[in-house]
Amino acid sequence: MTAAPGSTSQNTQVYLPDFSAAGTLFIVLLVAELVAIVLTLAAYTPDGEFLILLSKTSFFVLWLALLGSAIMCQLRSRLERAGKTRAFVISFFVLQLMCLAVAEIAWQLPWRLTGTGIVDSPHADFLLRTFAISSIILALAMRYLYVSSEWRSSIVLEAQARISALQALIRPHFLFNSMNTIASLTRTDPRQAEEAVEDLSDLLRASLSSTRNLTSLKEELEVAAIYQRIEKLRLGDRLSIRWDIGELPMRARIPSLTIQPLIENAIYHGIELLPDGGEVLVSGKRDDRSVQILVSNPVAPGKSRDKDGNKMAMTNIQQRFELAFGSRASVDVDDSNDRFAVTLRFPFDEGTS
Amino acid sequence: MKVLIVDDEKPARDRLRQILDDEEAYVVVGEAGNGVEALEIAARETPDIVLLDIRMPGMDGMETAHHLNAMDSPPAVVFTTAYDEYAVDAFDARAIGYVLKPVRRSRLAGALEQATRLVSNTLSQVAADANLNSQRQHVCAHAHGELKLIPVHEITSFLADQKYVSVDHDSGNDLIDDSLKSLEAEFGDRFVRIHRSALVAVDRIDRIEKNAEGKSRIVLRDDSQPEDKELIISRRHVAEVKRRLKES
Repeated sequence: MTAAPGSTSQNTQVYLPDFSAAGTLFIVLLVAELVAIVLTLAAYTPDGEFLILLSKTSFFVLWLALLGSAIMCQLRSRLERAGKTRAFVISFFVLQLMCLAVAEIAWQLPWRLTGTGIVDSPHADFLLRTFAISSIILALAMRYLYVSSEWRSSIVLEAQARISALQALIRPHFLFNSMNTIASLTRTDPRQAEEAVEDLSDLLRASLSSTRNLTSLKEELEVAAIYQRIEKLRLGDRLSIRWDIGELPMRARIPSLTIQPLIENAIYHGIELLPDGGEVLVSGKRDDRSVQILVSNPVAPGKSRDKDGNKMAMTNIQQRFELAFGSRASVDVDDSNDRFAVTLRFPFDEGTS
Repeated sequence: MKVLIVDDEKPARDRLRQILDDEEAYVVVGEAGNGVEALEIAARETPDIVLLDIRMPGMDGMETAHHLNAMDSPPAVVFTTAYDEYAVDAFDARAIGYVLKPVRRSRLAGALEQATRLVSNTLSQVAADANLNSQRQHVCAHAHGELKLIPVHEITSFLADQKYVSVDHDSGNDLIDDSLKSLEAEFGDRFVRIHRSALVAVDRIDRIEKNAEGKSRIVLRDDSQPEDKELIISRRHVAEVKRRLKES
């Protein structure tokens, strides 16, 4: 199929191929001819008329294919706007109608013109057979197009998630502040500067290597801990993090860099704006099938400017959870109290992981 | 040249001090971890230049710069920031000095040389351009040569009194330099104008009533208003005051 995955904008996706393109048309005709051969083979009785039967069937089927392509070509832009499911239902019925109309003409026209029919079977019988066969073939074709468009959109989703992961990586703010801290420490405390460089490297490596993969909860929490060490150098006593994660299954799989950005947010939008700092709470719960992780931070009164940046990070995480777990995972934000809290829920399968 | 360093992060302050200690021309006269502390030290040490972090808890760099400007001999200000493209664009556009973290020796020297005093007006515009919070959380008053910060949420009213504006707040009454017009522009969401020369905090108003002469007057929640300073609403402003009261 020729259509490129939704390159123009995020929401409108191309799910019907361009039937006016030569490549597509060739494939449609090829498939039509193969169908004709199958039909002829199935109906063949050995009295030496195979080629005659094949040419008659081909003639009919190719007409259907060409007309069908022409119709789809005309309808395509309108169908794309109608939405996916509706587009498939509408095109199915329109094409079905066209098949019946062509069948009717194929039966009637030779009679009108020459007085003899080229179709051997009775009128009603012929229409019924055309209807049944075209239903099956159209349904198969639609199914094929639907699945391949689903596949394409999952590629788009994955690409978006990968970009999101890249965006989630390291905020410029964090990077520059850390560099500044390190520059300062090289004189006052070279050993700590050394550790900070090592930590920062680990963090960068973790973020580069795992933008698309799932990682274990253990590794993700380690990355978060490294991140905490670096921020602690900068913020000193103002930052404390309470880890209440003993209950969590460390082997559980989670999209990488999803907990760390939550802590980053908690620090950037919460702790950094509080003169005396505060405590970030990371707590985890589990039941038979799912894991729940909550990250919360105190909020400075009357700070509204940072909402947007926060939202972007949340969208990031949401997208990547959706890709990894579909609807079985959720990301919930609660800012109704004096703390800002985000809860991640995702499935965990004891047996396989 | 006397320099004051203001940043909420200790390593960042250390870094600036390290660089400045190597320079003959500059003497670090103090380090402050937040805006309020910075103003106290600035009043005491009268620095020539203040290196000011933009993003700080409590009173941020922009507001601190505003209050520094209100001093008798305001210092020049150089902002420091790790990454804020909007702010940097706004600073460039209005030729305001800044340095980016990690701070480079050569760039800091350059910025310090170019540091000039800011005008409050420019500062407000920059804050707006940079999408930074342009509303102060304090107004500052000069009392006996000292800088006094009055939290905006403790203020009941601003009353224009010839050359100054008098501020009624929870712990007394002070005079400030700001004009009533600029105060109304900045704090219009909290305060409502009741006549030509008075702004009153909407959340401090209990109700409106008629006095003996049939004029509308404001009754404050804590009923602290002395008899001789009745808050009369001029006829032009009655409708607006009523609307704001209903909204709150």
